[in-house]
Amino acid sequence: MKEQLSREGYKFYHQRLPWLMLPVLFVLMIALGIAMGRSYSRLLVMTCYDSSAIIMLLLVIVGSTSYSTEFQNRTILATLYHAPGRAVVFWAKFLVLLSYNCLLHLAALVFTVLLNLVPIVNARVAWLQVYQYGQPLVVNMLATTGVDLVTSGLILSLLCLMSCLINSNSVVIAVNAILVFMGSGFSANLLNAGLTTVVRWNPFNMLNLTNQYYNYATYHLTTHLTNGQLLGGTLAYLLLFLFLGNWAFAKKHF
Amino acid sequence: MLSVTNVNIYYRRKRVIHDLNFTIQPGEIVGLIGPNGAGKTTIMKTLLGLTRASGEVKLAGEEVTPSHHAALQRVGALIEAPAIYPFLTGKENLKLYAQDPAACDSLVQRLGMTAYINRPAKDYSVGMKQKLGIALALLDQPQLVILDEPMNGLDIEATILVRKLIHDYARQGTAFLISSHVLSELQKIMTKVLILNYGTLIVNAPVASFSPTTSARSRLAVTAPKLARQLMEEAGLLLGADSGDLVVATAKLKPVEELLLAHQVTITALTPAEPSFEQRIVSILTEKRGERDENQS
Repeated sequence: MKEQLSREGYKFYHQRLPWLMLPVLFVLMIALGIAMGRSYSRLLVMTCYDSSAIIMLLLVIVGSTSYSTEFQNRTILATLYHAPGRAVVFWAKFLVLLSYNCLLHLAALVFTVLLNLVPIVNARVAWLQVYQYGQPLVVNMLATTGVDLVTSGLILSLLCLMSCLINSNSVVIAVNAILVFMGSGFSANLLNAGLTTVVRWNPFNMLNLTNQYYNYATYHLTTHLTNGQLLGGTLAYLLLFLFLGNWAFAKKHF
Repeated sequence: MLSVTNVNIYYRRKRVIHDLNFTIQPGEIVGLIGPNGAGKTTIMKTLLGLTRASGEVKLAGEEVTPSHHAALQRVGALIEAPAIYPFLTGKENLKLYAQDPAACDSLVQRLGMTAYINRPAKDYSVGMKQKLGIALALLDQPQLVILDEPMNGLDIEATILVRKLIHDYARQGTAFLISSHVLSELQKIMTKVLILNYGTLIVNAPVASFSPTTSARSRLAVTAPKLARQLMEEAGLLLGADSGDLVVATAKLKPVEELLLAHQVTITALTPAEPSFEQRIVSILTEKRGERDENQS
């Protein structure tokens, strides 16, 4: 596993796309900050300038490409026979993407600190000022990042599953983007239609976890779940999608 | 070293490879021959634990399955196309799997890739990529190397170079399983032939059995073909004619020579009249195809 992780890390590190996404993240954070305006300065800091949505998009692009590059260049064959087994390849790829997810969140935190130090986008806010959940803003920001790591983990597991089912890069990106960005809207429509007790546990509802964490009053009306229930549901679906992804990868015909 | 016992491979419920049995010993260069769709690549993938199969594939006594690849640590392969990451340089592609950097550098030098090895692989020509694919398969002195159409895209110099490299590795104990449609090229290197037809292994024999040391028939080119033909027919020495050449029994060469000399006809060329390796393979495949069609009708 260690050797496979090192190979996957080596390949990932040498790709240009994941690193190009860092300035893209910064620019989009500024754009979202400008769009929201100075009256939401504390919310912007708590959500790292709504980096959750940007990171979702970047993960869809980078994650889908990571798998499809292997399939399209047929390098997957060498990757597989050099590895002790298929499961090792699947988990190594997931762990590398998970590390990249952590890196994107870390970058979002750093960019937020920078943007708060140089208040060109929003008004400077005090880090220790009490904001939501009776906690200082800095704790709110770190907690939102932690919660978003779980939400984006769910996205990654879904992405790994879809990438094992579909070979084409463009199709995987399109399908994942549709699921990730339209999923919560689809879930909301289902919930409005009734059968709330059952339908509220659908996987797309879990995509609201981060949003609900920083805006409980609004999102709870949509999700019909508490923060704890959403967190539990997200972790359960994350594990389910990973299990299914690993199964699909093991059965895939190369 | 490699043993394949009663292997059957299925693709969606359809059996594509039937009861495959063969072995490969260290230093052997085995040619896997068969028409398109015969199952050559499928077999190679199964040996690499990439396809599910019933039966047993063992390498150095250890079983290879899709979930157990431990025995493949010292196996190199080039299947379908060179496994190259376009965003890495040639050197970085090699570094990904190389255990011994010095041996890797020496391999790069031997394959004549030094000039471009630090360039991104996406800029490589087909031949350059193929050489890199072969280098990847030969990294770290493998026990077994599986090559699917290794000469694809290589120029004549590179082809000779790769052939020499294969011989050198085989002398040091590396076994090879090579598939190629260029039979003349394969004939120059292989020591054993496996012929596959419609998923069934129909020949498993040393290559020497395809090239008899003495030919029963000889082909003659002469200065006066018409006269020679008439003379030999009258004397009952002619077995046939082929593209202007006369075919005679090798055992009767002396009386033929005396007869022609007596009529001032000179022999300009004398060659064995046996079918070439390629012709033999084609005739075996045609024969088997005929048998199959007969059984089906």
